[in-house]
Amino acid sequence: MSIEKARLPIWLWYALLCIFWWGLWGFLSKIGAASANPLQMQILFTLGMLPVAIGMLLQMRGKLDRDRLGISYGLLSGIATGLGTLGYFAALREQDASVVTPLTGVFPILTVALAFALLRERLNKVQMGGMLLALAAIITFSI
Amino acid sequence: MHWIIYAGVAILLWGVNGLFMKLGTNRVSARSMVIWVTAGFVVLLPWMWKMTSLAGLSTKVLLVGLIAGAVNGLGNWAVFACLEKGAKASVAIPLTALYPLCTVALATVFLRERPTGLQWIGIALAVAGGAMLSYESAPATAQQEQLSCVQ
Repeated sequence: MSIEKARLPIWLWYALLCIFWWGLWGFLSKIGAASANPLQMQILFTLGMLPVAIGMLLQMRGKLDRDRLGISYGLLSGIATGLGTLGYFAALREQDASVVTPLTGVFPILTVALAFALLRERLNKVQMGGMLLALAAIITFSI
Repeated sequence: MHWIIYAGVAILLWGVNGLFMKLGTNRVSARSMVIWVTAGFVVLLPWMWKMTSLAGLSTKVLLVGLIAGAVNGLGNWAVFACLEKGAKASVAIPLTALYPLCTVALATVFLRERPTGLQWIGIALAVAGGAMLSYESAPATAQQEQLSCVQ
């Protein structure tokens, strides 16, 4: 058992932790969405993220990394996610979620393509198959 | 504007975001990324507030939304830590996008929702896909990627 555990790379544990936290976020969003509109939820999510960010800042004793490019990517990541979400909500106003959500769920394909072209990342055959199955799963969950 | 354009914008921005996440964690720590990403969200806050308000929402809904935001922030930290520890963006992003698997499990346990036939297929695909995506024959490190990264 412990040998099996040691074989799992550390990044995989973090990925599983992320799936848990985001899964819980999806669950809570489901409860909140019964009474609040998507934009109200988005505002609450942003406000809810602040204590976590402040906690991280305190943990780092205020010593933030100063790499300008790193900071730019961080800010762009937040803005891109937020604007993308607003685009998703705008699409939902004119089309059913059963059409929009499976379609927007294919966004990892673009990340994989960009990582292939710009970061020169290469997936092995097993991972390629896994990506296709994961995309099928994402679409299936959102129908 | 046609809905497909809005959906396309979402795909484009979320897809490019995966790249920003990897490039960011190549340069700053996962905790720093959480702080800057949150700042990015805050930039959009006044604009969103112009379009709606939180008036009329019950305390319960406000609390659920805020806790969901905090949990989302922890998820962000975990994905940044995952990328920081050497995961490829092309593995980490599709893998963590499988989070609805956990949502379905939680809804089954706590809301007593029964997964539909389609959701069972999704669960099977997600488990198989997740396991296959995690299969690394020779793990790439962040340092290796930094060397080959076009910036």
